Amino acid sequence: MIYGDKKIGVLVQGATGKQGEFHIGLMNEYAKTVGGRGVVAGVTPGKGGQQVHGVPVYNTVKDAMKEHDIGAAVIFVPAGAAADAIMEEANAGIGTIVCITEHIPVQDTMKAVAYARMEGASVIGPNCPGLLSPGEVKMGIMPSALFTRGHVGVISRSGTLTYEVVDELTRAGIGQSTVVGIGGDPVIGQTFVDVMQRFEKDPETKAVVLIGEVGGNLEEEGATCTDLPIVSYIAGVSAPPDKRMGHAGAIVEGGEGDAKSKIARLKKHGVPVASRVSEIPGMVRDLFRCGC
Amino acid sequence: MKLHEYEAKNVIKAAGIPVPAGFLIRSPDELTPHLDTLGNAFVLKAQVDVGGRGKAGGILMADKATGAKVAQELFGKQIKGLPVKEILAEQRLDIKHEYYLSITVDRSSRQPLILFTEAGGIEIEVTAKEHPELIRKVVANPLMGDLPPFFIRELLGTAPKEIGPVINKLYRIFIEKDALLAEINPLVATPAGIFAADAKIIVDDNALGRQGITVNRDLSEREREAEKHGFSYVELDGKIGVIGNGAGLTMATLDLIEYYGGKAANFLDVGGGAESERVKNAVRLVASVPSVKVIVVNLLGGITKCDEVAKGIIAAEIPQKVIVRLAGTNEAEGRRLLSEKGYEMLDTMDLVVKKAVEVTA
Repeated sequence: MIYGDKKIGVLVQGATGKQGEFHIGLMNEYAKTVGGRGVVAGVTPGKGGQQVHGVPVYNTVKDAMKEHDIGAAVIFVPAGAAADAIMEEANAGIGTIVCITEHIPVQDTMKAVAYARMEGASVIGPNCPGLLSPGEVKMGIMPSALFTRGHVGVISRSGTLTYEVVDELTRAGIGQSTVVGIGGDPVIGQTFVDVMQRFEKDPETKAVVLIGEVGGNLEEEGATCTDLPIVSYIAGVSAPPDKRMGHAGAIVEGGEGDAKSKIARLKKHGVPVASRVSEIPGMVRDLFRCGC
Repeated sequence: MKLHEYEAKNVIKAAGIPVPAGFLIRSPDELTPHLDTLGNAFVLKAQVDVGGRGKAGGILMADKATGAKVAQELFGKQIKGLPVKEILAEQRLDIKHEYYLSITVDRSSRQPLILFTEAGGIEIEVTAKEHPELIRKVVANPLMGDLPPFFIRELLGTAPKEIGPVINKLYRIFIEKDALLAEINPLVATPAGIFAADAKIIVDDNALGRQGITVNRDLSEREREAEKHGFSYVELDGKIGVIGNGAGLTMATLDLIEYYGGKAANFLDVGGGAESERVKNAVRLVASVPSVKVIVVNLLGGITKCDEVAKGIIAAEIPQKVIVRLAGTNEAEGRRLLSEKGYEMLDTMDLVVKKAVEVTA
């Protein structure tokens, strides 16, 4: 398990909102089926003393930490409050912070991620579906019914596309060790590299499926920093050329953030790239068959 | 959203970075009354958001005698397909040297990245490729506040010290204006001092509200309509309309269309947890584009419930054929509703896309 197992206690920030309440229910339903601790506390400023699905709600993260053993947090607060939530959790000493919230201004994310790093916390997201280690723990919003336990790790910038891949893997009888949605924003906490390094130390993970998108060059950094066998897929081959980021984007990335050149560079490094999602299970099976 | 050149220059002028004297005109008549502020020789710059504007004929030299005629000519032009509605008239600078300065968001370090080179100008990308050592870079920790002086020393090297304050001011603009990019190219040295001859600022779409920007000009009318409903929507030039949930899955559907030799007309991401009313609006919006001959719906329900999706598709009552792939929560009920009404449903995204490509071939 790369960010915690069934023994980890989870805090939900934004517990009394519609999303927070709904997903506390689903996360604890999952915890029950696997015998895990699940969500043990919620936080919504001003709503301390309430309960959501039997989970006690506190005004601050520190209040919750006094009463419970908490190792991770999941954030459902609105965009304007999300960076603050990340920093509050990092400041309170929570090690893994999953931020589901989308549409956070990137200046806020840069600050929150820099601060969390200073405090030694790992931020997953923002704008992500979280993570799920089948049979152990779910932190976020992934639909658990599609997952099955096994030895393939999945890292993805996308949400539903991740579910599609997991669904294909499960139908093909290939289980997953941990599936991590790292988020689709230009600035995110844990990148392909960070997650890949954790997979490398994880005895449960024998191969990794890496699902990328147009923009940036972090996919190859992730794919080339490990000895684990990898199958990749890059979405956006047909995407119209993005509104160019002035000259700076071209200077930083060598003008190569588009999907086609990204695929070419992955292949050059010897990383197999699926041209359709439905090809992924077969390619993963080939990895195992050749024992490489 | 990208600011026009004159808007970006207003921002950097307000921050204390010198810009050439100039003014905006919306017709040739508006030029002559203010010509005295520009001197005899000046430049007319079309305010269109395209790369390579100069090479495409969007920047013309003029003087007092030819000004009105040149302005007339520029207003009559199309620059890379865009009509010229606004022109920035600017004093011509006596340029001794061109520098390049930009601040952008660096995905790798997750921090602002500042680029500076003494080899600025229109060939900057060639320089970056052939002589990357000429581009100086620093990454600024966003928690540091203003840039410390050693960063400025590292960036400037042997360049004039007067550029230091320009870097500090541009960095402050980058932070305060929620910019994804703040770029001055070229930043020029003249006998009268340092000037920003051109400027580009892109504001983070997620921060438009707090920047007081109410309308995102980068979006077409239909895209804005989609934004109101909370959809992300993009128009392309094929015949297949695409509706999916989640940007990645929608993009993968588009890629699959290309893989099977078809072309998408547009795509719409309905987002998570869509209810029937939202789906109905989505289907109608995609169908409202005349070139759409068939619509592919590819939804993988996690939070999204398939029966709600089915009700939305049926309620939309559009003339085009809809081919559906639904999987996930309440899948059986969704399928039952759609098959009762005779909709075509297939089990995988490969199958729906293949079918849609056949229909439009």
